[in-house]
Amino acid sequence: MKTQDLLDQFVQEARECLERIGQRLLAVERDPANRELLNDLFREVHTLKGNCGLFDFGALEHLVHAAEDLLDRVRDGQIAYRPALADTLLDAMDHTGALVDRIARDGRLDGDDPAAAALAQALRQHLTAADPAPRSDAAEPAPRAMPDWLSALPAGERPAGAVAVTYTPESGCYFKGEDPWRLARCAPGLRHLAVHAPTDWPPPAEAFDCYDHRLVFRLVCDAPLAAVQDHFRYVPEQVACVVLANEDAAPAPRLAPAHGADPALAALRQHARALWTAQGELLARPGVAAASVESARRVLERLARILGVDATDSLAGLAPGAVPLATWAREHHPDGAAAAGRATDESVAPPTPRLGAATAAGATAAGATADDGHAGDRGPRMLKVSQDKIDRLMDLIGEMVVAKNALPYLAARAETQFGQRELAREIKTQYSVINRIAEDMQHAVLQVRMLPVGTVFQRFGRLVRDISRKLGKEVELVLEGEDTEADKNVIESLADPLIHILRNSLDHGIEPPDARRAAGKPATGTLRVSARQEGDRVVLEIADDGAGIDTRRVRAKAVERGLIPADRADALTDAEAVQLVFLPGFSTAESVSDLSGRGVGMDVVRTAVERVNGTVALSSTAGAGTTIRLSLPLSMAVTHVMMIETAGRRFGVPMDLIVETVRVPAEDIHHFKQSQTVVLRGRIVPLRSLNALMGLDDPPRANPEGEHAVLVVRLGGETIGLVVDDFDGTSDIILKPLEGVLAGLTGFAGTALMGDGSVLMILNPRELI
Amino acid sequence: MGIRYTRTHAALEGDIAVDDAEALAHWLRAQRRPAVALKAVGHVHSAVLQVLLALRPALRSEPADRWLRAALGLAPVATSEGEPA
Repeated sequence: MKTQDLLDQFVQEARECLERIGQRLLAVERDPANRELLNDLFREVHTLKGNCGLFDFGALEHLVHAAEDLLDRVRDGQIAYRPALADTLLDAMDHTGALVDRIARDGRLDGDDPAAAALAQALRQHLTAADPAPRSDAAEPAPRAMPDWLSALPAGERPAGAVAVTYTPESGCYFKGEDPWRLARCAPGLRHLAVHAPTDWPPPAEAFDCYDHRLVFRLVCDAPLAAVQDHFRYVPEQVACVVLANEDAAPAPRLAPAHGADPALAALRQHARALWTAQGELLARPGVAAASVESARRVLERLARILGVDATDSLAGLAPGAVPLATWAREHHPDGAAAAGRATDESVAPPTPRLGAATAAGATAAGATADDGHAGDRGPRMLKVSQDKIDRLMDLIGEMVVAKNALPYLAARAETQFGQRELAREIKTQYSVINRIAEDMQHAVLQVRMLPVGTVFQRFGRLVRDISRKLGKEVELVLEGEDTEADKNVIESLADPLIHILRNSLDHGIEPPDARRAAGKPATGTLRVSARQEGDRVVLEIADDGAGIDTRRVRAKAVERGLIPADRADALTDAEAVQLVFLPGFSTAESVSDLSGRGVGMDVVRTAVERVNGTVALSSTAGAGTTIRLSLPLSMAVTHVMMIETAGRRFGVPMDLIVETVRVPAEDIHHFKQSQTVVLRGRIVPLRSLNALMGLDDPPRANPEGEHAVLVVRLGGETIGLVVDDFDGTSDIILKPLEGVLAGLTGFAGTALMGDGSVLMILNPRELI
Repeated sequence: MGIRYTRTHAALEGDIAVDDAEALAHWLRAQRRPAVALKAVGHVHSAVLQVLLALRPALRSEPADRWLRAALGLAPVATSEGEPA
């Protein structure tokens, strides 16, 4: 189900990407000198390639990769952008679109696509035609010819059928994030690996550029050519593969049939025959993968040699695919075709025709679907609307909300000024109807912009897997509450901070398995990412059960980097010291690793979260783990405020800060020097007069019962009571930030237009106190 | 993880990333008798391998990895199965 979601998203994004690529290609053709456009184009193609990489769509990826390589050269100015080149690219993108459509329809992309391969080839021809790389001629031997270095190898290192690979990475490959040594080492079925250093290497004393790759790798892989080519699929132009011929190899030991007297030999022969039969059964299975067919072919070939079945030539001439091979295996069975038929009658013979029939039927069915698809309305029923239009709709509805708020005032006037009670009641009835519709509309538009947080979470699985593997740690990722929804902007702003937090947790938090076992914890660390809705906010928690933050080290580092004075660092409690990681420029890493520790720290996370009006809290227990809690608004468009009155003026206070509103009798307020406190539910709450905070001279007014109105707000984990004159109900407003000369004003979050046409100033208690 | 530089040699431990290549090359060139310890080394990035091949520092200890040994021209570790030389 989740894969399906991911696939749907991929298809949708790929279509968008392709559309933009199409536009850019045309724009670049009109204005080839525009570097901005070219960069844009490259980025789009790169994104598309990256997305393809998430899935196993070999043909698609190969094609897009070729396009990316070509564009990279164009971008670097090595190849001029010509119409012929544009044609090839457009063709390639058209075909990519067709492939994506196929993926959308079938949910997969099976087998090779000759058209895609041909297009990729065409793209690569542009690469070589314009820029015959000088190294490639020298380093890569002519195809099919045996590389001479092979003959120097002992025979055991070059079995027949193995693939000899000369891998010549390009000199700038490190800058593309490639690690040729790793790629070479991890080649499938590696039998031999030699590193060839250039002879003209500068003497050690001289400076040489260690990021200029000069090594050539020579490999012998005991694996099918297809597997080797697949392994090097990202660098096809840098490898030369040659399949070693039979006669070159040491003669295979024969299990001669005549000497049947040896019981061990007889047992071996029996095993070999069993293997043969097993290959037949494997091939008879429906939907055998191409690689399996290839390996079965190789096994049969060797068995034939060992058992002395003289049919290697006919095997080489077989058509590709499982069915001909299965037939061949049955016909040439060492026990005779009849015996094979007997042995495998039930398992091989009947399914083969059925398989063929099924494939044919499948093909017709697929053809029919494709035809239907062409005839009917193509593409999913989805309307793509730019975000601007949604925002405009949102603004309009916002104004509508404000306008409908004028009706209660009108009703009040009708009653008090004109004495029309009946009319006032009717206006109020109408108001409630319009109110309901307006709220529904607002809700509907917000829904349009809502996305489940799972869309961001989906990327984490792969990320955590790759990083933990790279670091040699065992980590289990637990995702919770993926269905929680929030505004698109909020969700999108979350992706980077979350990835950063995850990396931090993996790199610094979770310990290697040995250290964990030593600490009495399970070897596998747990990284829990959970999302849930709390009121009108989304709360995300990222918790690991790692080592926690070493407060001693954090203090030392903060002082060392001159972020805070030493005496202050010592005075901090552990909980406060942990918060030092949020300081700009803070990093505990001794050396910069490629994961974290580049000085891009938690302050970036905090800035990103605060930009969407969210908050970050971090708590850590040494040895038990770290929890980071992000709290974000569901939506950024409409703000819920509480209106208050003080010194004859009206102000709004954002609702999400307010804990409660209470009326406190004047005699319950304790005065201590200048400060005032009150005990609420057994907790001491400091009181501040809003008038005093805003520099208004009026003393706080109590109501006729001698009670003060106290607005209890929560600011960064502390509760503070604001003494005001009166409460005035709540309202939904569209917050407009202060602009122009007012922009520098502190203490205010912005303004809002009220239903009666007045302007409400919205306070920002954080800045006030 | 990374490179520990001691007075006499550089100890490569765990996986060595591409970023470390330059520092290693610099350090090795600055030494009168450059030496590295590879006993605890995991995967080395190609750039690091290239530095080792180019500057040929003395080996304080040898790596365990078969392919890395081959790349550095060391004799393979004898195994019970008798891997081909």
